Amino acid sequence: MKPPFARPVNTATGEIEPTRKPRAFSPEAVAVPDEIEVLSDDTVTLDAEVAEPPRLMRWPGRIAWMAGGLLVSLALGLAAKRLVSELFAAQPWLGWVAVALVVVLVMALIAIVIREVASLMRLKALDRLRAEAVRVIETDDVRKGRAIATELLGIYARRADLARARDELEANGRQVFDGAEHVRLSERLLMAPLDARARALTAASARRVALVTTVSPRALVDIAFVVFESVGLGGDIARLYGARPGVIGTWRLVGAILAHLAVTGGLVLTDGVVEQLLGQGLAAKLSARLGEGVVNGLMTVRVGIAAMRVVRPLPFVAVRQPMVKDFIPELGNVLGETR
Amino acid sequence: MPQPPTTLTDELGIALSNLADAAVAPFTPTLRLGVTGLSRAGKTIFITALIHNLTTGGRLPGFSAMTEGRFIGARLVEHPDQGVPRFAYEQHLKALTGKPATWPESTRKISQIRLQLKFQSQRWTRGWQGPTVLNLDIVDYPGEWLLDLPLLSLNYGEWSAAALKRARNGHEAERFLNDISAVDPLGEADEPTAERLAQAFTAYLRAAREDGALSTLPPGRFLMPGDLEGSPALTFAPLPPPAGPSRSASLHAMMERRYEAYKALVVRPFFRDHFARLDRQIVLVDTLRALNAGPIAVADLETALTDILSCFRQGDNNVLTRLVARRIDRILFAATKADHIHSSSHDRLEALMNRLVAQAAGRAKFAGATTKSVALAAIRATRESVVADGGDKHEVIVGTPQAGEVLDGVTYDGKTEVALFPGDLPGDPDKLLTEPVALNFLRFQPPGKLEKNAGGNVVLPHIRFDRALEFLIGDWLR
Repeated sequence: MKPPFARPVNTATGEIEPTRKPRAFSPEAVAVPDEIEVLSDDTVTLDAEVAEPPRLMRWPGRIAWMAGGLLVSLALGLAAKRLVSELFAAQPWLGWVAVALVVVLVMALIAIVIREVASLMRLKALDRLRAEAVRVIETDDVRKGRAIATELLGIYARRADLARARDELEANGRQVFDGAEHVRLSERLLMAPLDARARALTAASARRVALVTTVSPRALVDIAFVVFESVGLGGDIARLYGARPGVIGTWRLVGAILAHLAVTGGLVLTDGVVEQLLGQGLAAKLSARLGEGVVNGLMTVRVGIAAMRVVRPLPFVAVRQPMVKDFIPELGNVLGETR
Repeated sequence: MPQPPTTLTDELGIALSNLADAAVAPFTPTLRLGVTGLSRAGKTIFITALIHNLTTGGRLPGFSAMTEGRFIGARLVEHPDQGVPRFAYEQHLKALTGKPATWPESTRKISQIRLQLKFQSQRWTRGWQGPTVLNLDIVDYPGEWLLDLPLLSLNYGEWSAAALKRARNGHEAERFLNDISAVDPLGEADEPTAERLAQAFTAYLRAAREDGALSTLPPGRFLMPGDLEGSPALTFAPLPPPAGPSRSASLHAMMERRYEAYKALVVRPFFRDHFARLDRQIVLVDTLRALNAGPIAVADLETALTDILSCFRQGDNNVLTRLVARRIDRILFAATKADHIHSSSHDRLEALMNRLVAQAAGRAKFAGATTKSVALAAIRATRESVVADGGDKHEVIVGTPQAGEVLDGVTYDGKTEVALFPGDLPGDPDKLLTEPVALNFLRFQPPGKLEKNAGGNVVLPHIRFDRALEFLIGDWLR
């Protein structure tokens, strides 16, 4: 038989919450209102996180690419060095010209890299902001909400078309005491006008795609056109929301859009699937080419919506996300008028 | 057995009025907003701010109809009920924006107002015919009268027992209790005795109210008589239960008759005309005043709120039940004067509010109503800052305390601006109901300098007023 026992597993410290007494200060003692907290990355992660996009490459692939890239750069460096030394051997002044050109080339490359990195950072910043906004909506943290609004104001500070919205946000933001409300307010004021323009861009692009598909003589032509339009549309929408992607940025963006389409493909399909099928069926009855045109147009619409979801710095909360079915009327009059 | 608050005739009248409303509803629906709150909870301020913000297009970022640009405007229109005075909006606004700005005087009589809202509906069923019009009816009344509502379900004996028990707990009631023990309840009824007792009772109620934040002090007309002062219905007092059967000529029987008359002539019409047919309700609670007075006052406030709120008709509506029986389907519990405390403590204030109305909210939810609680300031009188005091950061509010407010032995003159740290609200609201906590909230003067909007109207600063509006009427403006 074992005797009964009790063992402490968790010692309560007996600490009482410190409470401070009421006091009055003269106004001279008042400090500057504390500055807005900077968003930090080490915040608690919540389950409300957006689904992780699928990773495109595993580490062996990355190493292979890296090694290959290094080899190619070495080869290019060697070729340049040989060229310069050969030119020096032929004519010293030609050699100096070549050196100058190499320096210019390197500087230009550095500038390009800096721009690319900056554009990647901007994309990242938008991503981070959106994740943070999702969190703030969950936790209703005032400081973080205010920080998000301030950061958005910074991103769009030089946009002439948002001057009034910025002004309104600044004036109204002072009256808001809830984090989630800050996010919703920023979305209503700053995002809504941008959303409308993104919608217009998507609609115009989808109409163009549908028209080109309908009239193009070869399938290859319209596939090329769809790819061209989609990449262009993604870039346009990213620029609209303040991302300004460069070459690598666009590449990344296209990857993200594709990943997003892959993740949410089923979800988008459920939206207005009846209208889609009906529209396609009707159009196909009229003409096979027109049916294909509508299909390709809808594909572009999906790319547009995916691009919005990928680059928009806030999640869709107060403003309704555009759906594929919203664009069907626009596609319907593809033959009526095109821009 | 508790008595029903209304008679059968009343019910019939209520149902008929609802039917009449339903008949005109397809053209101009009417939304009755019940602004409920004990005296000094901020009802008048809330209504004034509501009218001002809606009529002048105030700064309401969280009010979606306005932010989405669908709200066209609002104006004050004549109320169809000509028997009740109009809410003196202009005077109250003048007091608030005057120089020097003062809070409106406490409400002494009932008044009502109708606000007509014009907006563009999002729904295709309403939106296609152009802007929609909605009438918003609001009633203002002395908060003391609200204390009477629980009386509707108490008879004289029950009420007397409760009132005498309360009187024996306090020390203000000595004279009144002496007077009572001197009379014989079964003795011959005579008017001078009744008047003497009623006066002593009134004096005790007033003293008790001055002394602390005792909220459970019915009958309310004794504190704020309105135009019934001196009438027999207001000349009664609680008496201990008689030893034997009381004759109809005895003092006890007369008091009982008068109590019933008070209920029938004063309380029931008040309830029937203004509270039985509400659609939405906001319960304004001045938690800070109760906190100043201590744990007994806070517990007392909880009892009062639970009693009063049990009188309202809450529950969900549908198209058919709305025809004859209107129910309150959304209730907002608002801890007012949230500007008297730093916004970092608003969460705790809301927690306290939730604790105080837990029973009432539970009942409302069970009946099918939606409830929500917020820390609110219809007009914000202070701003926020931080005082660093030897490494210890104090979140303070900056404002001008009203003349006569005292903290740490300093009496303020109503002109000096101070940075106040009112003490930490404990995270556990139960603590506030049981033990004294070092808290001191000062009352502040209305905001001095007010911004003006493009239309030349002052913009009233507020805290979460827009969210309150969104919850209360937002869904009607969709």
